Amino acid sequence: MEETKELTKAEKKAQKKALKERMKHLKSGKLEKRDGRMGLFFMIPWFIGVAFFLAYPLGTSIWYSVNNIRTLPQGLMFRQVGFGNFTQILQSDPDFIVQLVDYITSTVLSVPIIVVFALMIAMMLNMKIKAKGFFRMIFFLPVIIVSGPILTMLTEEGAGSISAIDMNAITGAIQSFLPPMLADPISDLFSNMITTLWYSGVQILIFLSGLQKIDKSMYEAAKIDGGSGWECFWKITLPNVKPMILLNVVYTIIFISSNSTNPIISLIQTSMFSGDREKGFGYAAAMAWLYTGVIIIIVALFALVLMTRKDAYEKQVKRAKKAQKMEVRKRKKIERRNRRNAKRIEHQRAQGKITSRTTTRDEY
Amino acid sequence: MNKGKKINPKGFEIGQLKILAIILPLVIFMGMPIIFIINHAFKPMEELFAFPPTFFVRKPTMENFTKLMEFSNNSGIPLSRYVFNSVIVTLLTVGISLLLTTMSAYALSKIKFKGRNLLTQINQIAIMFVSTAVLIPRYLVVCQLGLINNVLAHVLPLVAMPVALFLVKQFVEQVPDSLLEAAYMDGATDMTVYYKVILPMIKPAIATAAILVFQQVWTNMETSNYYFQDDSMKTLTFYMNTLVNANNTVAGQGMGAAASLIMFLPNLILFIILQNKVMNTMASSGIK
Repeated sequence: MEETKELTKAEKKAQKKALKERMKHLKSGKLEKRDGRMGLFFMIPWFIGVAFFLAYPLGTSIWYSVNNIRTLPQGLMFRQVGFGNFTQILQSDPDFIVQLVDYITSTVLSVPIIVVFALMIAMMLNMKIKAKGFFRMIFFLPVIIVSGPILTMLTEEGAGSISAIDMNAITGAIQSFLPPMLADPISDLFSNMITTLWYSGVQILIFLSGLQKIDKSMYEAAKIDGGSGWECFWKITLPNVKPMILLNVVYTIIFISSNSTNPIISLIQTSMFSGDREKGFGYAAAMAWLYTGVIIIIVALFALVLMTRKDAYEKQVKRAKKAQKMEVRKRKKIERRNRRNAKRIEHQRAQGKITSRTTTRDEY
Repeated sequence: MNKGKKINPKGFEIGQLKILAIILPLVIFMGMPIIFIINHAFKPMEELFAFPPTFFVRKPTMENFTKLMEFSNNSGIPLSRYVFNSVIVTLLTVGISLLLTTMSAYALSKIKFKGRNLLTQINQIAIMFVSTAVLIPRYLVVCQLGLINNVLAHVLPLVAMPVALFLVKQFVEQVPDSLLEAAYMDGATDMTVYYKVILPMIKPAIATAAILVFQQVWTNMETSNYYFQDDSMKTLTFYMNTLVNANNTVAGQGMGAAASLIMFLPNLILFIILQNKVMNTMASSGIK
């Protein structure tokens, strides 16, 4: 028995070695090698651009955020302050906190509105109507305006709200029903309705492309089985555009947060160039990182809600694999225990404590 | 291909009325800014400052445009120089960045290689980061590369645009693998697949990305502001902006209105050219 065990061990070792060798060989297979090479080839130009103008500046700004930087005639003067900038922002910069809270509430409220509006418009534009092309153009056009200086001009002129509807009545009604925490952002939203809707150009486009990829025969099949338009929307349209919804939500959040009309951005800019001893580049960098963190959290929240779930088959496969793994682990555990116990018994026998040979390893 | 060109149905049906009833008011809202910009540029002085502000122009004049022309003729550098700068910079940036974006989107979503996930994550973080904060490090980079007062300083910082990559990547991911495999089976190299399969299939995404990048470059003042001391190298946007800001008097307002129309027109033209592609190829891309 002892001999066979040894043999199997040696055999196992050899097998493992062979497998490893084979794996090594597999790893450097032609296809993967080529894929790796081509991947790098396609990525390198982009990567160089990113490395110089995004990654390196990003890294530097982390370094800046833990420093107090002052501009002197001789150049930049760094003084390490650790997390001083962050604590200072959180403790003694009321502007930033207030605007951050404002930003969070307005984003969380307006993102669903923009996305739902875009989906509605996209669905309507996907139907059969006359002058469809013209309508599509009109809905996309605001995109080329909202990022420019024209938007600020327009809002100054008061074109950002719907003057035809009596806004005061709506906002008044909202404020009497809801607590002020919620009422303020919602009434803000209503008074900036048009600008909110202007943001939805690209989203409409993305939705349209998603809608057009849906197989028309699916709707026909559903209709033959007696499905109504409403059911078709929930069972066919929505599941099919779901990835587009996530894409749109992310895009909208990013667009709102990095827009030049965003008050936090201007706050960062002013503190960057302020002559204040405590502020400066480092302070602004810390602020920007805090802001980025908040954006990432918001995006993550939305993504968690909208993440496409895996279908039933994949779930089952995953569960089966997990069960298998558990099984293997259990078996290994038992084996380990057996071996341990056998060793102990062997030891005890050698010491002469156990004389009977009835307890053997196999009985465990 | 031809099938996709006709997106408008031929006849008018009663069933369309309910959709039109919802869409038309929205169209008016959405179209407002464009009408406003066009009207604003032709307003004479007294209408520009009328209170309450009027939406439509009553007595259209070309006064604002002639003033703008006169002003630019009197300054040292002719307007055509700025236009030339802007056109060159925009063409270069849009071209290069579209090439880079589509290439890397293809690699990131269809080719397996080491570090793919890392690069994707870098891009995702970069999207979310505020560009204002990297202003100073970027300036230092441009300085160290010796690009101050070089045309490339206009182009390079904007070439790698994470949002565009994100957008295009989403579209490339939806190109079915079996299509690429079929191409490989027929002996296509990666370059051929990229050029003959991927690019035609993601045309709508490319057109959208082109519009986004164009907008970013065309309205960008950062580069002119920070990387150029030489006035003759700055872009049209910068010039227009200084015009409005420097003469923030009564005369400046009228010129500003005219300038914003001039700035807006290329956007409109590009969009009208591309919109056919943006809207139609989506239908005929054959991705199921």
